[in-house]
Amino acid sequence: MCRINKNVILALLTLTSSAFLLFQLYYYKHYLSAKNGAGLSKSKGSRIGFDGTQWRAVKKFVMLTSSQNIPVFLIDPLILELINKNLEQVKNTSHGSTSECRFFCVPRDFTAFALQYHLWKNEEGWFRIAENMGFQCLKIESKDPRLDGIDSLSGTEIPLHYICRLASHAIHVVVFHERSGNYLWHGHLRLKGHIDRKFVPFRKLSFGRYAGAFDRPELQQITIDGLEVLIPKEPVHFLEEIPHSRFIECRYKEARAFFQQYLDDNTVEAMTFRKSAKELLQLAAKTLKKLGVRFWLSSGTCLGWYRQCNIIPYSKDVDLGIFIQDYKSDIISAFQDAGLPLKHKFGKVEDSLELSFQGKDDVKLDIFFFYEETDYMWNGGTQAKTGKKFKYLFPKFTLCWTEFVDMKVHVPCETIKYIEANYGKTWKIPVKTWDWKHSPPNVQPNGIWPISEWDEVIQLY
Amino acid sequence: MDDWKPSPLIKPFGARKKRSWYLTWKYKLTNQRALRRFCQTGAVVFLLVTVIVNIKLILDTRRAIIEANEDSEPEQDYDESLGRLEPPRRRGSGPRRVLDVEVYSSRSKVYVAVDGTTVLEDEAREQGRGIHVIILNQATGHVMAKRVFDTYSPHEDEAMVLFLNMVAPGRVLICTVKDEGSFHLKDTAKALLRSLGSQAGPALGWRDTWAFVGRKGGPVLGEKHSKSPALSSWGDPVLLKTDVPLSSAEEAECHWADTELNRRRRRFCSKVEGYGSVCSCKDPTPIEFSPDPLPDSKVLNVPVAVIAGNRPNYLYRMLRSLLSAQGVSPQMITVFIDGYYEEPMDVVALFGLRGIQHTPISIKNARVSQHYKASLTATFNLFPEAKFAVVLEEDLDIAVDFFSFLSQSIHLLEEDDSLYCISAWNDQGYEHTAEDPALLYRVETMPGLGWVLRRSLYKEELEPKWPTPEKLWDWDMWMRMPEQRQGRECIIPDVSRSYHFGIVGLNMNGYFHEAYFKKHKFNTVPGVQLRNVDSLKKDAYEVEVHRLLSEAEVLDHSKNPCEDSFLPDTEGHTYVAFIRMENDDDFTTWTQLAKCLHIWDLDVRGNHRGLWRLFRKKNHFLVVGVPASPYSMKKPPSITPIFLEPPPKEEGAPGAAEQI
Repeated sequence: MCRINKNVILALLTLTSSAFLLFQLYYYKHYLSAKNGAGLSKSKGSRIGFDGTQWRAVKKFVMLTSSQNIPVFLIDPLILELINKNLEQVKNTSHGSTSECRFFCVPRDFTAFALQYHLWKNEEGWFRIAENMGFQCLKIESKDPRLDGIDSLSGTEIPLHYICRLASHAIHVVVFHERSGNYLWHGHLRLKGHIDRKFVPFRKLSFGRYAGAFDRPELQQITIDGLEVLIPKEPVHFLEEIPHSRFIECRYKEARAFFQQYLDDNTVEAMTFRKSAKELLQLAAKTLKKLGVRFWLSSGTCLGWYRQCNIIPYSKDVDLGIFIQDYKSDIISAFQDAGLPLKHKFGKVEDSLELSFQGKDDVKLDIFFFYEETDYMWNGGTQAKTGKKFKYLFPKFTLCWTEFVDMKVHVPCETIKYIEANYGKTWKIPVKTWDWKHSPPNVQPNGIWPISEWDEVIQLY
Repeated sequence: MDDWKPSPLIKPFGARKKRSWYLTWKYKLTNQRALRRFCQTGAVVFLLVTVIVNIKLILDTRRAIIEANEDSEPEQDYDESLGRLEPPRRRGSGPRRVLDVEVYSSRSKVYVAVDGTTVLEDEAREQGRGIHVIILNQATGHVMAKRVFDTYSPHEDEAMVLFLNMVAPGRVLICTVKDEGSFHLKDTAKALLRSLGSQAGPALGWRDTWAFVGRKGGPVLGEKHSKSPALSSWGDPVLLKTDVPLSSAEEAECHWADTELNRRRRRFCSKVEGYGSVCSCKDPTPIEFSPDPLPDSKVLNVPVAVIAGNRPNYLYRMLRSLLSAQGVSPQMITVFIDGYYEEPMDVVALFGLRGIQHTPISIKNARVSQHYKASLTATFNLFPEAKFAVVLEEDLDIAVDFFSFLSQSIHLLEEDDSLYCISAWNDQGYEHTAEDPALLYRVETMPGLGWVLRRSLYKEELEPKWPTPEKLWDWDMWMRMPEQRQGRECIIPDVSRSYHFGIVGLNMNGYFHEAYFKKHKFNTVPGVQLRNVDSLKKDAYEVEVHRLLSEAEVLDHSKNPCEDSFLPDTEGHTYVAFIRMENDDDFTTWTQLAKCLHIWDLDVRGNHRGLWRLFRKKNHFLVVGVPASPYSMKKPPSITPIFLEPPPKEEGAPGAAEQI
């Protein structure tokens, strides 16, 4: 009897504990789902997602920014993508009616916001308030690149990034600074010695791997997941900019060293040329931007940027490169409308296209079209007298933003390879006589145009 | 539970099955003890597992909650890192509690060494005469201020009294005399020295040497004195060696409320001395001023560049007045310091402003000029959207309505290409020659001293051809050259909105300051509404000048224009006088007239096409140069223009070197 009792008790205990275990398993599953984001709650349509750490972190941050007047807008690529897909719906949603957390509860490690530094009035003190709200914040500062071009100025460091962590989620605040050329710039997130490398998984950040440049976006206010946030008016445009936003600074230090060695040309002619070249470049950039054609600084203009952060006064022209796939048939007429008549046109769209426009004060604008092969890029040249063709080879390159004569323009990211291809290893030494048919180390003869095509491929005005 | 995933935790199901199997076979197997045992152990193990899972769950949930609420720990981290940035304040609380101080006083050399480090050494000839004063922080031993008062010369003792009174109680005070320090040491100063506990100081005689170390308001820590034996010789050199006990950091600091502002104040006050009540423990003077905002300010987003050198006391006074001006936006202010100086940077940090240091590369005037260029370029780089920049210097007081004045007039720079700048300074606006704060002029000269620069002018014209370092030019002289100015004019107010306090307190060129700057009129009325601003535009101004000349009463040209009676004792009238001016560059008579009117006469200022406008005895007074000025036609034929003879050439005039 006693023995049976013992067994029964044991059995009962086992039963209750299994019941407990079952309950716990059920509970544990919820706990896990909350941790991993809205994966499970989505199908249920419950409000559970709103308890997620992501949403809570974002909510606190939005509260903080609105109470402290911190001028931020949302730039998180993942969330902007989602918003963009449901843009109409998002705009129509009235404030209170959100039943699901569809954006800010998506599983991710970071939510990225941009801070417009020039609109920020009370920089002091917000850090403390953020920490009182439960955020752990990290501030990454650096020297101001806008002072780099000017001799030996050292100033107060400017903030580049803030990372504020709340539980397992972190808000990444990318500080956008205004730069000459009407664009916004953010810095490279460089971890200095004393910074805790495990503070957040830095590798997963969507911004900060490189410095970046963006057009100044117009903003709009929207309400998503019950939170009011500012986003770029055209999320698509902003999203398109992100992968190509990498920015490289001019090498001001090296440029100063260059001028110490070779002295700047400050004659009236040099200054006049620089001024007209700058105006021509600005006009060309404006015209091409209107057409939506990408371009970069090429040849002498690129060398001037890289070597001396300025226009080379004796170069006599402005050189731009354009990928042939970006060619548009109305380029010529657009330039003509802008007051730049076509001077000559060599080659054709299929082969060795080169356009040249006449700017003011005898400054010429040369546009070289680049063709892509499997392992190199090239552009063509044509000798008008003989119909001889030339080919200039370049290693493959991608485009980066930079600032040049108060403008945001593209240059090849792999600038040094590009310049060495064009000017050889001795590019640092100024050369005033340059024969474009023979001097460049990357030039190759490329046959001759058939006489029957001359009328088309050699047009002089 | 609809998407249940099988997992290793699925045990309960298995257990239940096991249990039913057990019940069915229970009786059959009662004899099989081994099996029964096995089942019992199984159940116990299972129970144990349940307990473990339970505990784990509790721990997990707990951790999640803690993570979510975690906030106290990181704050500490941040505070620590902040602490590291601060000056090594706690050094004094280490094992060393005593400083050993050496002070040397003699005819040709003084030096002070603290713990073996020389903090003052002056053996230059013909320099550094007088009483050298050094203030040390009583907790850290850091040098907080270093001054020399040439009490051989008049008024320097007053400056010394002023300075010593500003030093906070408890600080370590070191005095030493070089050459001579008693000739103009008056009773007030001597009384102050006595109150500090000095024996020899109050009795300091001609060419005595003297070294003193004491605590302000506390005990004297050492003093040595040597009397000069005769009028023609000096006292023997004295070397004072003494130990200075350090006090604790808490004692050296005030107990201000812990706010962002006071944190700045604390950092500042632990580093430097000589700024008076800003570091007062009981009733510190505010460092945030929150002046009234300007409604519809047009200059809210105009950057302000403050050009500074190493005159931190000036900078302090200047920034105070700037930050008190109505409509100021502190985040638009940048202070550019010419050189790698710490103290001006401390002043900038005290006010929470942006400071940029410029490591000098060239010499003398060219250095100032390069500093200006770098500062202006940087300003337009930092504020790429700004169309204008306000340029100020560290030795200016700023009028309370400075920004209001600019806000009302800045549109002129945008709309009128014939303008070069807007300046807050009227070269001819002295107490006795300026009257109307609502009145503006157009002038051909560029006054500077608080002015607005157009971005396009700088970027397109000035920056590219700015004088290079080897040219040793004054930037302002260069800007006034016709090649740069190209006939354009500046807008100025009748009553200046800035005050040049520059040379006050320095006996060097005090004469110059007294003569040309001290009596300058400075507007103190807030919110002045400027009159008829649009009449300052090129063509409208000509109409205005013609109207003025038409209604002006012609003065009696037979009288001496230097006499006070040249103008009648009226108020609110407009008078005109005609002086001889043969061509555009003939200012002979004007210069003499300016001299006897006691206004700026070192070069020609404030003219507009041969016309000068000023006030005399509250009457508007116009001076027209005949026949060079186009306004000569207003001269009645009967009047002969006044001619004043220049004095015979000998002029050892002062201050030609210091033209502003």
